[in-house]
Amino acid sequence: MEPKGARRESILDLLHDAGGLRPGAVGRVHLDSKVPEADVYGVATFYHLLADTTTDVFVCDGLSCRIAGCNSVMDELQARGEKARFVSCVGRCDAAPATWDRRGRPETLSPALSPSSDKHAIDLAAEDTQPYDALALARDKGADWVVAEIEGSGIQGRGGAGFPAAVKWKGVRAQAVKERYIVLNADEGEPGTFKDREVMLRRPHLVIEGLAIAAFALEALEIYIYVRGEFGAAKAALVGAVEEAKQRGDLDDRLRWHFVDGHGAYICGEETALLEALEGRRGMPRMKPPFPVESGFRGKPTLIQNVETIACVPAILRNGGAWFRGLGRTAPGSKLYCMSGHVTRPGVYEAPLGVSMRELLELAGGAVGTVKAFSPGGASSGFLPASKLDVAMDFRSLAVEGSMLGSAGVVVLNESVDMVEASLAQAVFFEQESCGQCSPCRIGTQIIRQTLERYLASGRDPKTLAIIPEVSWGMSEASICGLGLAASLPVKSAMTWFPEEFGIG
Amino acid sequence: MSDSKFVVIDGSETEYREGETVLHAARRLGIEIPTLCHDDRLEPAGACRICLVEVEGSRLMQPACAFRTAPGMVVRTNTTRVDRNRQFIISLHLADTVADRDEAEDVSISRLHEYTEKYGVAEGEWQHVGSPREGRPDDENPFIAFRADRCIVCAACVRYCDEVEGVSAITLANRGGRTTIATADLRSLDHTTCEMCGGCIAVCPTGAMTEKPALFYGKPERELEKVRSTCNFCGVGCQIDINVDRNANRIVKVTSPPPGTTVNDGNLCVKGRFANDFVHHPDRLTVPLVRETDGRLREASWDEALERAVRGLQGVKETHGVDSLAFISSSRCTGEENYLLQKLARAGFGTQNIHQCAAT
Repeated sequence: MEPKGARRESILDLLHDAGGLRPGAVGRVHLDSKVPEADVYGVATFYHLLADTTTDVFVCDGLSCRIAGCNSVMDELQARGEKARFVSCVGRCDAAPATWDRRGRPETLSPALSPSSDKHAIDLAAEDTQPYDALALARDKGADWVVAEIEGSGIQGRGGAGFPAAVKWKGVRAQAVKERYIVLNADEGEPGTFKDREVMLRRPHLVIEGLAIAAFALEALEIYIYVRGEFGAAKAALVGAVEEAKQRGDLDDRLRWHFVDGHGAYICGEETALLEALEGRRGMPRMKPPFPVESGFRGKPTLIQNVETIACVPAILRNGGAWFRGLGRTAPGSKLYCMSGHVTRPGVYEAPLGVSMRELLELAGGAVGTVKAFSPGGASSGFLPASKLDVAMDFRSLAVEGSMLGSAGVVVLNESVDMVEASLAQAVFFEQESCGQCSPCRIGTQIIRQTLERYLASGRDPKTLAIIPEVSWGMSEASICGLGLAASLPVKSAMTWFPEEFGIG
Repeated sequence: MSDSKFVVIDGSETEYREGETVLHAARRLGIEIPTLCHDDRLEPAGACRICLVEVEGSRLMQPACAFRTAPGMVVRTNTTRVDRNRQFIISLHLADTVADRDEAEDVSISRLHEYTEKYGVAEGEWQHVGSPREGRPDDENPFIAFRADRCIVCAACVRYCDEVEGVSAITLANRGGRTTIATADLRSLDHTTCEMCGGCIAVCPTGAMTEKPALFYGKPERELEKVRSTCNFCGVGCQIDINVDRNANRIVKVTSPPPGTTVNDGNLCVKGRFANDFVHHPDRLTVPLVRETDGRLREASWDEALERAVRGLQGVKETHGVDSLAFISSSRCTGEENYLLQKLARAGFGTQNIHQCAAT
């Protein structure tokens, strides 16, 4: 329990300034913030960029980076005497095998993306010269009109859950409490996903205009932008865009823009874990209800949206909700699809929601080798076999297939990939990124990884897999948040579609 | 929202009360829902997931400890899904801690193992997980041991230390399977804000937090006899359970009665819980002593000793008047003892010179 006046929200920044969990850091942060020492220590140890003070180079061992040979990158770095370690994701699957150097290294843009088109709500390839006319339009026509257009657009949240954005906007507006917050979730970290980073780097004004519109419509004055710690350049682009827009007089002077760094924890992409991080706590997801629209940041009504979702808002207002809805094929809107793994041109491609995997492969220059399987939406979506290449890539159609669109981080696997090894890679990811709060996820992710290792060590004796069905049942029934609920999907789906590789075919 | 004023649990109706959790509503109906991370004194955490129940209209099961009832809500705690989850959670924890009951309960009673028996889960069926939880084996504090291999990371101890004691000496640390209970920079508890109240031990459902003296003594709590008594370190009147090894005629440890049953609501302080080694100290006086004329002390009976005291006090009163006497009681006396002493002063001797040392 911190004393009155303690500065809880400041401790992550203070720890960062102290160089992470170095000797004496906990005591100093405690003195500065008045937050109990034990709490400061508990928070610091949760975030690996704070807890780990020795590593310089973080080598991604996500699935796309494994395929591309992250082990040889590591060998090379160690041969050079670099302090390097593996981490589960650095958000650069298009540049696999990817690394992130903490000492600073210029961040490059994705090498491939869709050519500019008026059928794209975001249109990454377009010039980012925002006139902020959508914001002007919003002010002109009023908040009710804004929300009606958002609702009419049918836009579903692009962070992974596909939750209708209008429900959140209306939810916040329905609250009696006037202290409201807008939070931008820029903690992109699902392996296979690197779209939000591109949006921030290429179209920062789109994001800022979208946030300003949301603040206007929801009568919020404070905007919190939580950017993944590894995305320094993306954050700088947003900071620059705010400055520019302010100077041009495009933004309401009363708006306060806060930038908050992530410190290495995938789970903080879960919206309530993100709120915990903003409040200076361990990023453990909250129990819901209550939902953030009612009780979010500081217990106040809060709108949390993903970068891509917010970036769609200006186009929706400018062209109308109906226009946006019409961009999609089986669901509203165009969507950024991240293509990596065994494809010729890894990159971010904007296409109608409901585009088929076959078409996406064409956009990315075709597969390298023969497609054997793919993950449609990051690690959490599990695997689908090549026979599903014609499934519509939208939230509902993929759910019907027992998978999900998630963040549309598409990872393509060719015939050279061992599905047991691929499942193991995803199992390692979830084990490393489980927050540890609830037992199904904390223990279950370890059991799945250990079981797959035992299966391989046993010379593929299917008897060693006997525990998988019960553990994955429990994880998907009893976990607190989406991480645990989805963590068993990779192995479960791999066993369903490729039983012969698990000796059960 | 329904017009109903009732909540239905397993087919039985109970009155809807605003803000009440499913767990408490079920209790009123006499329906038991297992809990590990829950304690009525703490904010619900919903972390252990053993209390999940089915709520009509909700796709996922909900934690009874945290989920609030609503008018007309229909809850089921007796379905195969709920039961399967309970068995799953128990199996998980057994695989992640000490599965064998005798070994697990070598010092304290484990609620996890009580449930293991109750819900018919086989011990040791799942391979041991061996989570890399860090303990503090070199912690030099004399009272509280943390044995990480028995910890289910429910954080009841952390929440108790924070929410009830306001001390925040311990914290959840690290992430995922490495998550553990730690102090700032893993220091010994006696080098933290810890007040050694031992409440962390009382709320621990598995015996991961234990009394060091009892650990060294080495006899399971199940084999000890609990003797209810009143703590005599101050006048609050906390109820304590003295855990006695009858065969050896020794006090092994002191535990707090369950919360909600006594005035101290399951809480104790460092003195009540740990300051009991004087009982078996060889220097402790166990019979009254009286002083001989040569100044030496000798053992005496209670009758003789009291007789001597009465004579001395009455002698002073007769020689110097009653107000030459003053009575001072110890702050270690209970309220009842303080009452009796003032009775003795005022009614017995007739003086108002009565004081209590904690009053100054």
